[in-house]
Amino acid sequence: MATIIGGLGTSHVPSIGVALDRGLRDTPDWKPFFDGYEVGKEWMREAKPDVAVVIFNDHGNSFFLDRVPTFAVGVAETYKPVDEGWGPRAIAPFEGAVDLSWHLVDKLVERHFDPLVCREIDVDHGLQVPMELFFGRPEAWPVKVVPIWVNTIQYPIPTPQRCWDMGRVLRETIESFPGDERVVILGTGGLSHQLQGARAGFINREADMAWLDGIANDPEHYRNMTREDYVEQFGSEGAELIMWLVMRGAMDPKVKLIHKHYHAPASMTGAGMVVLENEG
Amino acid sequence: MTDSSRIPDTPLFDRAGSIRGYKLNKMAMALGDPANRDAFRENEEAFLDRFGLSAEEKAAVMSRDWHEMVRLGGNLFFILKISAVDPVPITQIGAAQAGMDHAEFLAQRLGKV
Repeated sequence: MATIIGGLGTSHVPSIGVALDRGLRDTPDWKPFFDGYEVGKEWMREAKPDVAVVIFNDHGNSFFLDRVPTFAVGVAETYKPVDEGWGPRAIAPFEGAVDLSWHLVDKLVERHFDPLVCREIDVDHGLQVPMELFFGRPEAWPVKVVPIWVNTIQYPIPTPQRCWDMGRVLRETIESFPGDERVVILGTGGLSHQLQGARAGFINREADMAWLDGIANDPEHYRNMTREDYVEQFGSEGAELIMWLVMRGAMDPKVKLIHKHYHAPASMTGAGMVVLENEG
Repeated sequence: MTDSSRIPDTPLFDRAGSIRGYKLNKMAMALGDPANRDAFRENEEAFLDRFGLSAEEKAAVMSRDWHEMVRLGGNLFFILKISAVDPVPITQIGAAQAGMDHAEFLAQRLGKV
């Protein structure tokens, strides 16, 4: 069986990718943000995973409003970085963990989830940026990926409980996979930010800090919150944080919080990460 | 999740917004294609006409009125592609949403000095 070797949570703000593209890593605005991720990169180097399952949302790049899947799973051999309007980014394409992806599709449907299954699709900053934050800018990525898209753009978005339940199936998928792959799970999005409406620019540092500890040690609290609670506490786009629950639901009830980092604002967002390991 | 007005000053992109802003967002989505970006730069109004935008929608796009585009159902993730063709920092778009000037927005909302 494959093994879950860690659960990671991280923001996926597009400006992080832009900062890297423009060589702004060590500027005063960005240095404290990137420095805090070094321990996460170090953890990843030592963990030597084979596969990264990345849970993220598309931002109007790979999906338009003509078709809005609540959940989608990639089963492609390769995922290219999508052109988000600024032209394609100079980062390597992502190789798909095709067999594990199909196994996930089988398990999800068996457990009464019904995802859109994507054979040919590009990926936006929602997947790119977390990979860059933990793996840097290699010529070829050291892991294969299983992308899971969650709709957080058009309401109704899925409930926190549903995201958690998907995490339970993800765990069952990995543990029943006939291979010896070492798998990391990346829940992405958030933390607090709001881009639309008169409350735009809303950042809730206190709630963000509480989240980084709470997602490790008190996930029940966040699983029980409503979508409205997320919007209220973390902003309209901060509700993306529900995607971390897919990661957390796949982990043990008790986990070790190995690393955490918080920096605000990154562009208009409270940005942060956690590295979790099962107590096992 | 139907009550999108419960949280003050926080519009959610729900059914009504999605229907209202469909054409506007579809036009913006098309800017992911370099050929469409060229067409937009070459003759913006003709490009907007291709997507059947109303006079009100065209005026909002052509004047880069970010607040009005959102009011008309534009979703930020789509209309951001306009700011890729004609560069505007996202914080300036945020300031327009908040009804503040840029410097004031950076200081008061984002805590930047």
